[in-house]
Amino acid sequence: MVECDFPECTTFGSVIRFALELEKGAAGVYDELSKEPKAASAAEVFRTLSSVHKKRGELLEFTRREKLNEMILEPISELKRENYLIDTKTPMGLDAKAAARFASKIEETSARFYADSARIAKNLMAEAARTMERLGKENMANKAKLEAL
Amino acid sequence: MALLSEVKKDYGRLQNFVNGEWIDSTSSKVLDIENPSTGGIIGKVPMSTADETKAAIEAAHEAWWAWRETPPITRARVMFKLKELMEQNFENVARIMVQEQGKTIDEARGETRRTIENVEVAAGIPSLMMGYNLEDGAAEGIDEDAVISPLGVFGAICPFNFPAMIPFWFWPYAVATGNCYIVKPSSQVPLTMNYLTKLIEQAGFPPGVLNVVNGSHEVSDTMMEHPKVKGISFVGSSPVAKYIYKHSAENGKRVQAQGGAKNSLVVMPDANLDRTVSNMLASYYGCAGQRCLAGSNLIAVGNIADTLLKKWIEGTKKIKMGYGLDESVNMGPVISAKAKKKALDYIDGAEKQGAKVIVDGRKAVVPGYEKGHFIGPTVLDQVTPDMTIAKEEVFAPVVSYIRMESMDEAIEFIHKSPFGNAASVYTQSGKTARDFRYRCQCGNIGINVGIVAAMAYFPFAGYKDSFFGDLHGQGQDAIKFFTDRKVVITRWF
Repeated sequence: MVECDFPECTTFGSVIRFALELEKGAAGVYDELSKEPKAASAAEVFRTLSSVHKKRGELLEFTRREKLNEMILEPISELKRENYLIDTKTPMGLDAKAAARFASKIEETSARFYADSARIAKNLMAEAARTMERLGKENMANKAKLEAL
Repeated sequence: MALLSEVKKDYGRLQNFVNGEWIDSTSSKVLDIENPSTGGIIGKVPMSTADETKAAIEAAHEAWWAWRETPPITRARVMFKLKELMEQNFENVARIMVQEQGKTIDEARGETRRTIENVEVAAGIPSLMMGYNLEDGAAEGIDEDAVISPLGVFGAICPFNFPAMIPFWFWPYAVATGNCYIVKPSSQVPLTMNYLTKLIEQAGFPPGVLNVVNGSHEVSDTMMEHPKVKGISFVGSSPVAKYIYKHSAENGKRVQAQGGAKNSLVVMPDANLDRTVSNMLASYYGCAGQRCLAGSNLIAVGNIADTLLKKWIEGTKKIKMGYGLDESVNMGPVISAKAKKKALDYIDGAEKQGAKVIVDGRKAVVPGYEKGHFIGPTVLDQVTPDMTIAKEEVFAPVVSYIRMESMDEAIEFIHKSPFGNAASVYTQSGKTARDFRYRCQCGNIGINVGIVAAMAYFPFAGYKDSFFGDLHGQGQDAIKFFTDRKVVITRWF
């Protein structure tokens, strides 16, 4: 199980931190699923998606460093932490389809988080909003990939 | 959530950086560096002597000519290297700033970004420093050129509120234009500059080009009085800015001395109130109100006053206070026990003069940080223009809520202030906005923006008692401040 520490989303930094935890959680789940013997037929897809989520973490760190404008650092109150928590306790013994379904939920929750963050970020941190939008769309594409397994 | 890790728990006793070497000050006077969130001591800073300051000035002067002869493009390359090092160490710079200054990690990251931006702009020096010429400018066959040249040694005396960015408003431009420099960081927050100086050292500036001398007024006075120092940059309170301006000018220096502020944000009846409140929260409470561009007076114009106040209180109550290394925190403490007492005295005084404390941060405590210098966001209603709280700089998260009938009344009030740093208007009307920006006598005007912080490529300073000098910090003004124009008239027989 991947340990994640999801913060309350009250600042730009905590929104990015939340996103980083999502990416860490997703990457960890895919790593574990890729080692599941009963889901061996999907192992390559899971390995690829794990690597995708690790790279997204790097993109988020870049966004935090480069896209923050202290002139418009407004408090954030519309993103409720509990709406976007993901389950990172990967069940044992899942076959490929069940593993894909488990991972798909993470992608779906993440997509929702990024879509909502992007909407809020448009007013507060427009440059970061583009990254959020992109990540949310990627989540949906990942979900489609998983559903096709 | 878990706190981000501190870079170090104890930074020890700081050294000066002179002529490319780290040197212990011989001074027996040493101040503690306090973490304002925890109240813990995280380092010690020596109060360097006049002789140590003179040695730094001599080293800078000695280094000057060789650095002046270094081509601008080569000087720019060192700036690029420094930028790269700052990017690599971005998070450490931000976290040290949180430890010593108390601002939140987001604010510290924002400041670090702005600090780097000044290096990026200064790296454009080959273009920024170009002179101009005119063929046959003097007469037929006689050409005239204006050459832009550096002057020698400059120095900065820096405040506590922006430990990284403010020294970088000045020295990168001075050094990029071919001068040498002495930075005296604030003795309350010298750690960030100390860390950045290690990066400056690694970037490859020759010894003596950039020097850092820790200390207090003995260092400042020596810089202001030394004949080899050509100019002084300062940021701090207005009385000190005025002294620095006068004393430096008496000694033949160029001066840019930025002082205090009392910024008013004016909300018109047609403003988008939800967006306005969200934006203004950052202005009044960001950096715990310790920005020279922070909002202080909130002027509600016309019939929106009660609705706006209700929304303002709702927004204020959402501000989470704490140690800035918790990423979910919106506001940190003020810098010291003394600063806290001063702010509390202002609030008490306002109450005695008839203001109503409707959100009271005087007794705010952050669990686990009882020794921190926290003041909760405070809102004073029924403030009138004649009250002390409406006129003097508080430098804390304290909002004076003032009701007025028209923008004319608001502008008249703004103009009565001895300060002229910043003012903002919130409106959906282009005509109103244009009128405000045209008439308002302040150095920085916001239209639906509450923190009018000029980017590195624009000049920054206020008007009236908020600034003593003529050329501002940053941008083209900085290039002019650190250089002179030499006219060459050429005729060939």
